[in-house]
Amino acid sequence: MSAQKKRNFKIEAFKHRVEVDPKYAEKTWKILEHAIHEIYNHNASGLSFEELYRNAYNMVLHKYGEKLYSGLVTTMTWHLKEIAKSIEAAQGGLFLEELNRKWGDHNKALQMIRDILMYMDRTFVPSNHKTPVHELGLNLWRDNIIHSHKIQTRLLDTLLDLIHRERKGEVINRGLMRNITKMLMDLGSSVYQEDFERPFLEVSASFYSGESQQFIECCDCGDYLKKAERRLNEEMERVSHYLDAKSEAKITSVVEKEMIANHMQRLVHMENSGLVNMLVDDKYEDLSRMYNLFRRVPEGFSTIRDVMTSHLRETGKQLVIDPDRLRDPVDFVQRLLDMKDKHDKIINVAFNNDKTFQNALNSSFEYFINLNNRSPEFISLYVDDKLRKGLKGVTEEDVEVVLDKVMMLFRYLQEKDVFEKYYKQHLAKRLLSGKTVSDDAERSMIVKLKTECGYQFTSKLEGMFTDMRTSQDTMQGFYASQYSEMGDGPTLAVQVLTTGSWPTQPSTPCNLPAEILSVCEKFRAYYLGTHTGRRLTWQTNMGTADIKATFGKGQKHELNVSTYQMCVLMLFNSEDCLSYKEIEQATEIPASDLKRCLQSLACVKGKNVLRKEPMSKDIAEDDAFYFNDKFTSKFIKVKIGTVVAQKESEPEKHETRQRVEEDRKPQIEAAIVRIMKSRRVLDHNSIVTEVTTQLQSRFLPNPVVIKKRIESLIEREFLERDKADRKLYRYLA
Amino acid sequence: MKKEDTVKLISAEGFEFVIDKKAAMVSHTIRNMLTSPGGFAETQLGEVTFPEISTPILEKVCQYFYWSLQYARFLFSLFPIPINAFSLTTL
Repeated sequence: MSAQKKRNFKIEAFKHRVEVDPKYAEKTWKILEHAIHEIYNHNASGLSFEELYRNAYNMVLHKYGEKLYSGLVTTMTWHLKEIAKSIEAAQGGLFLEELNRKWGDHNKALQMIRDILMYMDRTFVPSNHKTPVHELGLNLWRDNIIHSHKIQTRLLDTLLDLIHRERKGEVINRGLMRNITKMLMDLGSSVYQEDFERPFLEVSASFYSGESQQFIECCDCGDYLKKAERRLNEEMERVSHYLDAKSEAKITSVVEKEMIANHMQRLVHMENSGLVNMLVDDKYEDLSRMYNLFRRVPEGFSTIRDVMTSHLRETGKQLVIDPDRLRDPVDFVQRLLDMKDKHDKIINVAFNNDKTFQNALNSSFEYFINLNNRSPEFISLYVDDKLRKGLKGVTEEDVEVVLDKVMMLFRYLQEKDVFEKYYKQHLAKRLLSGKTVSDDAERSMIVKLKTECGYQFTSKLEGMFTDMRTSQDTMQGFYASQYSEMGDGPTLAVQVLTTGSWPTQPSTPCNLPAEILSVCEKFRAYYLGTHTGRRLTWQTNMGTADIKATFGKGQKHELNVSTYQMCVLMLFNSEDCLSYKEIEQATEIPASDLKRCLQSLACVKGKNVLRKEPMSKDIAEDDAFYFNDKFTSKFIKVKIGTVVAQKESEPEKHETRQRVEEDRKPQIEAAIVRIMKSRRVLDHNSIVTEVTTQLQSRFLPNPVVIKKRIESLIEREFLERDKADRKLYRYLA
Repeated sequence: MKKEDTVKLISAEGFEFVIDKKAAMVSHTIRNMLTSPGGFAETQLGEVTFPEISTPILEKVCQYFYWSLQYARFLFSLFPIPINAFSLTTL
C-alpha cells in the first residue's frame, strides 16, 4: 500500500469577486461623495445606509482606503469653507447664532459620516495612523471655522463683549453662550484655553482693576467689600452657567487679586470705615465679609490680624496708662473685661472663631496688661469689690462667669506672684471683717487659681480659710467653757491666724481698754491651755468692734468701728476733751494709723462722733478732740470705717514691691538649685533661660536678679565656677 | 408585536426575515444603520437589504442574533452554538 498522502483540512480564504472594473474606485467614491453632500444638505433620507456602508467597506477592502480618506478630507473641507462663508456673512448679533446652528449641523453630519465610514475608522485609520473621522471633523472645523482669521477675532470679541455687557447689568443669551463655550471645549481644552480663556482672563483683569480703582475712590470700606463680594459671586455664577468648571479657580483668582489683594492695605486702613472703625463699631457683617474675602488671598489674614493687633495694643495701652482710669481700679478692670468681651464676640461672630485671631487677641492683652505694673493689684481689687458687694443677689452661674473672666485676665499677667500678694491682703481683709458675700464664691476663686497655678500658689490662701474655721470652733469652745464666768463684759471674737499664711505686718499692739484686756487675757489662758507650745500676739490693727453709745439727747447708736477707733472712743468714756498727744500716749497707736482713725471719727460728715478743734480736714499734733454730743444720724447702726479696699498709696506700693522682690529670691534660688542638681554643669545663659521657663507661670524673673542669686549660691558653696571655662557653673553636692 | 420593535432583513435572493430590533442590534453595523441620526432609508422604512448576503447565511445570522441575545453573557461552553454540516458550508 503506497502511503496515501494525508490531506490537511484547510479553510480557503474567502474569495471576493475581484473587481475588474478599473473605474470601480472612482465610481464608488462618487456615490459616497454624493452621499456626503446630501448629508450636509439635510437630504439623507433617501440614502441607503447599507449601500453606503458596503461601498465604504469594499473600498477599504480593495486598498482604496487612502483615496476614501483623502476624499473625505477634501469634501469636508470644501463644505466647511462654505459654512465659514455663511457664518462670516451673518450680521451682528446673528453671528453667534449662525455659528451655533452650523456647529449643530456639522456635528450631526459628522456623526452620520462616521457611522457609514465605520469600517474605515476601525481598520484603515489605526493601521495607517490617521486621525479618526470624528476627531478629523473637529480638527477641520477648528482649522476652517474657528481659526479662519475673519471668524477667530470676531468670535472672541463677541464673546468678550457679551460678558462685558452682562457685567454691566444687561441680560444676555446664556444658553447660546453655553453652547459656544461648549463647542470650544469640545474642540479640545487647548482651543478653549488659547482662543477664549486666556484673553477672557486678561480682559477681566483689566476690567476689575479699573472697576476696583473706581470703587475705592468713591466707596467706603464696607461698601467696597460688598461690591467685591457680589462680583465674586457673579463670576462664580457665570462659570457655573456657561464656562468650563476649571475656569472658576482662574477667574476668581483674577477677581481676588484685582479687587482684594491689590487694595488690601488701603481697604484695611481706610479712614472712617476701615478695619479699625469696624472693630470699634462692632460691624459684624462687614467684618465677617472682610474675613471671608481676605481669606481668599495670600497675606489676607495676616493683614487683618496685624491691624487688629496693633489697634488692640494701641487702645489697650491707652487704657492702662491713662491716669484717669487708674483712679478707679474696679472701673479699670471692668473696662478691660468689656474690651475682651467685645473682641471675643467679634472673633466669634465675624471671624469664624479663628484660632490665630484668638491668639492675636490674647497676645495683645498680655502685652498691654503688663505695661502697667499695677495691673495685678487692680485685678485683685476688682475681685475684692465683686466678692464684697458686687455679687450680692447674683446667681451662682453669674458669679462663675465673672470669676472666669477675671481668671482670663489673670492668665495674661506676668507677675502672678504680685497678684497673689495683693489677693492675700484683700482676702485677709475680707475674711477678718466678715465682708465676704459668699463663701462659695471665695472658694470657687481659690479653686480656679489652684487649677491655674498649682497647689503651691494657693496653699496659703487655703490656710487662711482653715484658720477662719478653726477660730470659729475655738470661740465656741471658749464661750462654752467660760460661760459661767462671763458677766456683762464685752463679747470677744478672736481669729487665730497662722503666721506665714496671713499677710500680717509686725505691729506693736496698742493699749487696749481694761475691759477688753481682761477678756483677752482669759482667752489667752484658754487657748494656750488647749494648745501648748504656741505664742499669741494681738493684731490690733486688723480688728473691728461694735460699740453702743448714747448721745446728747439720749439717742442710742450702735457704732461699727475698727479696734483702734474703739480704743480712742473708749477714752471718751471718762473724759470729754482730749488732745492728740493725750490720745497717742494713752493708746500707743502708731501715728499714721491714729491720724487716719481720728480723721474718720471727726472729719467725715454724718459720722463725726468726735468734734475737733480747730475744725479742719487734717489732723495736726496739737488738735484737741471733744465728744460730739450733738451727733445725729437716721440710722441706729452707724458704720465708721476707714475706707477699705483702697488701692495702695505710693509708699505702700513701693513696700509691697520690695516684699515681692524679697519673696522672689528664694524661689529663684530654688529653681537654680533644682536645675543644677539635674544638669550638674551648665553655662550661664542656659541657666537664665531655664529659670525663666520654670518660673514663668508665676513671674518673669529679671536676668540681673538671677545673676545675683547665682553669685549668692556660689558664695554659699552650692555652685562653683568651672576652673577652665569661667562661663560654666558646677553643682556641688 | 409593534412594527417599531421589529426590523425586516432582506437577503440577496429577496427572502425577508422579520426579527426583533433588539436581536438585530446585536450587530453593531445594523445598530448604526438603525440609529444613525439624519434618517437614512433603513431607519425610515425599518428594513435593510443585503444584496451580498445569501438567504441561508442571513438565516443563520438571524439565528445567531437570537442565540447571542439570550446566551452571550453566559459561558460559551455551557450553551454551545449548534454547529452542523450546514453551518460549515455557510462558512
